[in-house]
Amino acid sequence: MKTPPEDHDLLRWLDGEMSAAERERFDARLAADPALKAEADMMQRLSADLRTHLPAEMPVPYGDFFNSQIQRRLAQEEDQAPVRVPASAGWLSWLRLQWLAPVGLAAVLIAAGLTTLKQGGIGIPEGGSDTYVHSIYVPNTAVHASTYHSTDAKATVLMLDGLEEMPADRKIVGFNITRGEVDQDVAATTLFDAEDNAVAVISKDARSQPVLLTSSPAR
Amino acid sequence: MPASTAPEPGEVPDIDLVKRCQAGDTRAFDVLVSRYKGRIYAMTYHMIQNETEAWDLSQEAFIKAWRALPSFKMDSAFYTWLYRITHNVVYDWLRKKKIQGDGEFDDSRTEHRIAAGAEAVPHGDQAPDTAMKNAELGKRIQQAIAKLSPEHQQIILLREVEGLAYEEIAAAIPCSLGTVMSRLFYARKKLQELLKDCYENAA
Repeated sequence: MKTPPEDHDLLRWLDGEMSAAERERFDARLAADPALKAEADMMQRLSADLRTHLPAEMPVPYGDFFNSQIQRRLAQEEDQAPVRVPASAGWLSWLRLQWLAPVGLAAVLIAAGLTTLKQGGIGIPEGGSDTYVHSIYVPNTAVHASTYHSTDAKATVLMLDGLEEMPADRKIVGFNITRGEVDQDVAATTLFDAEDNAVAVISKDARSQPVLLTSSPAR
Repeated sequence: MPASTAPEPGEVPDIDLVKRCQAGDTRAFDVLVSRYKGRIYAMTYHMIQNETEAWDLSQEAFIKAWRALPSFKMDSAFYTWLYRITHNVVYDWLRKKKIQGDGEFDDSRTEHRIAAGAEAVPHGDQAPDTAMKNAELGKRIQQAIAKLSPEHQQIILLREVEGLAYEEIAAAIPCSLGTVMSRLFYARKKLQELLKDCYENAA
C-alpha cells in the first residue's frame, strides 16, 4: 500500500508539478514498479478523457438574453437598493446617491454660477480667490439651502437643510468648487477647485443617473 | 486555461473594468459578463448537468458578484474571485436540493440521458464506431462527475477543465496545498472506480 507522500508524487508527476530532477527520479520508479506504472497510465488516460469531454467553455443558450437579463436585474436592484457606495470611492461618491441628486444638481449649478460670476467680475474680490454665491436653485422644495461666506477664511459654506440623515461614518471634507467644464465628447463634467485642480469628474450611466467617474482623494 | 490571462491586444484588462464597476458602471460589468459567461456556464453545467438550472445559477453568480464588487480588493484575479462566488452559489443550490452525500446518481439531474439502446449494450461489446464510443464515454464521464461530492467535483473541474496549477486551486477554493493534493487524489480514485468498466473494456 502506498504512503501519502507516494500518492502525492504520482499526482505531481501526472500534473506536471515536478522539477526535472524529481521527474527523472519518478520515471525510474515507474520503470521499476509495473503496478505503479499501470496506475499512472490509467490516471493519465482518465485526465485526457476528462479534458476531452468536459469543455472549459460552453456557448451559453440565448447568450444575448443572458446579458440583458443581468443588466435588467442590476437596474431593478439599483432602483430598490437604499445605498451602495464602493469602499474605495472618494467622498464625492455620495453625489451618486439618489437622495442627494438635488444637491448634486445644486452643486453643479453653483459651479456654473460661479463661473459666470467670475467671468463677469461680480462678487469676486480683486486679486483674491474668494467666491460668493448670490443665488441658489434647489429643485427639491423640501430642502432649504443657505450660504455663509467668510472673507477671513476665504471660504463659502453651503448649508442644506431637509436632507435625510447623513451616515455617521461618512468622512466629509470641504472643497471649494470654482468652476466646471463640460466635455461634450465624453458627456462628462469636471469640477475644479480654487487652485484649478480637478476635484471630480461626473457623468451619467445608462439610465441617466449621475455617476462619479473619479475624484481627488480626501484631504 | 489559467485563472488570469493577459488581455488580448485592444482588450480592456479585467482590473480596469472592475474599477469602473466599483464606480457603478454597469456597462463595464456587461463586458465582464460577456468575457466569462462561457466559462462560468460550463463550470456550472458540469456540476449540475441541467441546462436550465445552469443558466439560472450562472445568472445568480454574476448578480452576486456585482453586489460583492465594492468589497473586492483585487488581491486575486477577477476570474478566480468570480469562480469562488459561482462555486458557492452552486454548492448552496446542491445543498438545498439535498442531492449530494449519499453517492447515488440521480438520473433526473441530467437532460442528456444515455439512450436506452446504448445502456442495453453489454459491457465488453464493441461500439459501432469510434464516434459513438467517444460519445458514450463522454456521457459516462458526466454521470461520474455528477456522483462526486461538490468538493471533489470542484477540484476535478479546477484541475482538469480549468487547468489551474495547485497554487491557483488553493487560492480559488481557498485551502492549503496539502488539501488540494489530497482531494485531487481521492477525487481521481473515485472517478477511476466509477469508470472502471470503461477502462477495463478499453484495455
